[in-house]
Amino acid sequence: MAGNRLFTIAQKEFFDHVKCRKFLLIFGILLVVAIVGMIGGITEYNKNLDSYNQHQSTIASPLSSYMAEKPSILSVFSSVATYLMFVGGILGIAMGFDLVSKEKESKSLKILLSHPVYRDEVINGKALGGIAALAGALFIVLFIALATLLIYGIVPDGNELILITVFATVSFLLIFSYFAIALFMSTAMDESGSALIYTIIIFIVLSVLVPTLGSTTVTELVIGNPPELPRELIDQMQHSANASEGSGITVTFASKGNNGAWDEFGEKMQAYSEKRQMVYSTLALFSPTMNYDAITSAVTQQYSSRATVIGSRASTTTSAAFSVGTSGDVRLEDHLYPIIASMIALLLFPTVFFGLAYMRFMRLDVR
Amino acid sequence: MIQLEHLSKEYNGVRAVNDLTVEIPDGEIFGLLGPNGSGKSTAILMLVGLIEPTSGRCLINGLDVARDPITVKQQIGYMPEDVGFYPTLSAKENLTYFGKLYGMDTRTCIKRCNELLPLVGLDGVIKDIGGYSKGMRQRLGLAKALLNDPSVIILDEPTANLDPQGVADYRTIIRNVAREGKTVVVSSHILEEVSKVSTSIGILSAGTLVAQGSWKDLARDHSIHASSHVTIHVETQDPMPEFHHPDLIHIDYERDRHGAVLVTRSDLRDDIADYLAQNGVRLRGLFREERSLEETFLSYYQVAG
Repeated sequence: MAGNRLFTIAQKEFFDHVKCRKFLLIFGILLVVAIVGMIGGITEYNKNLDSYNQHQSTIASPLSSYMAEKPSILSVFSSVATYLMFVGGILGIAMGFDLVSKEKESKSLKILLSHPVYRDEVINGKALGGIAALAGALFIVLFIALATLLIYGIVPDGNELILITVFATVSFLLIFSYFAIALFMSTAMDESGSALIYTIIIFIVLSVLVPTLGSTTVTELVIGNPPELPRELIDQMQHSANASEGSGITVTFASKGNNGAWDEFGEKMQAYSEKRQMVYSTLALFSPTMNYDAITSAVTQQYSSRATVIGSRASTTTSAAFSVGTSGDVRLEDHLYPIIASMIALLLFPTVFFGLAYMRFMRLDVR
Repeated sequence: MIQLEHLSKEYNGVRAVNDLTVEIPDGEIFGLLGPNGSGKSTAILMLVGLIEPTSGRCLINGLDVARDPITVKQQIGYMPEDVGFYPTLSAKENLTYFGKLYGMDTRTCIKRCNELLPLVGLDGVIKDIGGYSKGMRQRLGLAKALLNDPSVIILDEPTANLDPQGVADYRTIIRNVAREGKTVVVSSHILEEVSKVSTSIGILSAGTLVAQGSWKDLARDHSIHASSHVTIHVETQDPMPEFHHPDLIHIDYERDRHGAVLVTRSDLRDDIADYLAQNGVRLRGLFREERSLEETFLSYYQVAG
């Protein structure tokens, strides 16, 4: 009986969502941007693949084979992730901000709660209905994305399918995070307008302000500037560069590993990077957007060399990227291990806000 | 059967309902009367289980509303003052949804809709609730209150937005369900409305129950016991002599003394008649000033206030 009531409420909420114009509109936008993102990603992927194949056919030295990475199918999802980060958040907010406040305004909450239902069934039913609609929307988006891949003749293998599933799951968690925040605001506020405004403020704080605080400039204000390259090493580099000009040999950073000064600088740089990483990771725990960015970056840019991302916002993926780059063997756990903290944080966010919404709703004074 | 036992509710230190004790037997239409802000709606919300009492308890058919809310809610039908439905659904869709929450299957819900919507005058209305007038929503609210065939029906200001036909329909429906042995509680500040349907009433003033009983009993009791003054009009054929009595507060003789208006502490009509007879004054008329229903109940509020 209790299950029936929960199902009845969830079913009504689900159909309310899917019949709602605002949901259909945002879902439509999501579909369009996903398709556009996929097509753009596929074009880029094909270009990179051609370049890789060309490089493979003219392979001459082990060094050049390291430089040319086989592009990942997952890279196609990179731009989809960028769009989802924004439009998905908006979709979650749009679906949650008036779930309870609308019922307060229309006075239907009083009628609803006068029926033989427990309050937890009402809030759980509302959340389930919303989750089902969100999951359905995301499933359709990813189904179309996969279909687009197949249409272009790109077939993912088992590991890639798992990573696509991870991508889908975290995308869902991101949208659900903002849905849970909006649901909490909807229970806390008496009017939908106020709930929407406060949710948007939180959305801006979590998706713009916190990442800004985690950016290079702000982080450097907290932990100081990176260690400077010692003068003797600069001189040494200049000398080596002058010497190599005539010989045609490329001098790489790694070739200087046996120099004591280089080792010392490397250690300082490593300690600095770790410190900055810690500040970034701590901030990221408070932002679903940053967690999502970190995870999707790790998932979608798995094969590319990530030397350039040290110090950038996606630096959590560095170790995974290097493990691929150096071994050439793609192991799933190598990609998932560095993002576990982000995944847990992304899971915690909706849990905490749904818990708050739940507690608020249970104590709601219906007058 | 409804029992409210020492029910109190405080909001931020302010007592909205104070030690309310009422017993309403089966088949009764109980009118909960009181001015705005007297605590009627708060009492109703506690009765329906939407808010928890600060102290005391509500029993419906012997079940504690706070301890056994689901079983109690299965047995009651409730219509709030500001009745709200889902605006994007039709009347049938709204009722079907609520019916399912009562554990009814879709077929039973549709059957009940087909019985109740004509009863409240909404048969054939297919538009969404969003397009309904307040009166139409109130009619639907009554249908919803009857949806689960409850043994207890609780209506808060049920005729506030109804047109005269709607009010007449409502009265007929309420009387019919009471005849079936169901208990009905009608909360209202409209005296006439309560007086037309209720078999007994309770008067709330500032959260306190100041009177309870049948309509006639309350009016009589209040006139005899609660009022401190009785006004008596005397008309005589002969001039009246001076009248003295310990309960006499004030007397105004007419200029020719062929009559007087007396304000007394008790009904002195018999004493006045005897006194005039003893003094050889022929009596033309002797009557006590009757107060209107409104005056009587206003005085209850004033007494409590």
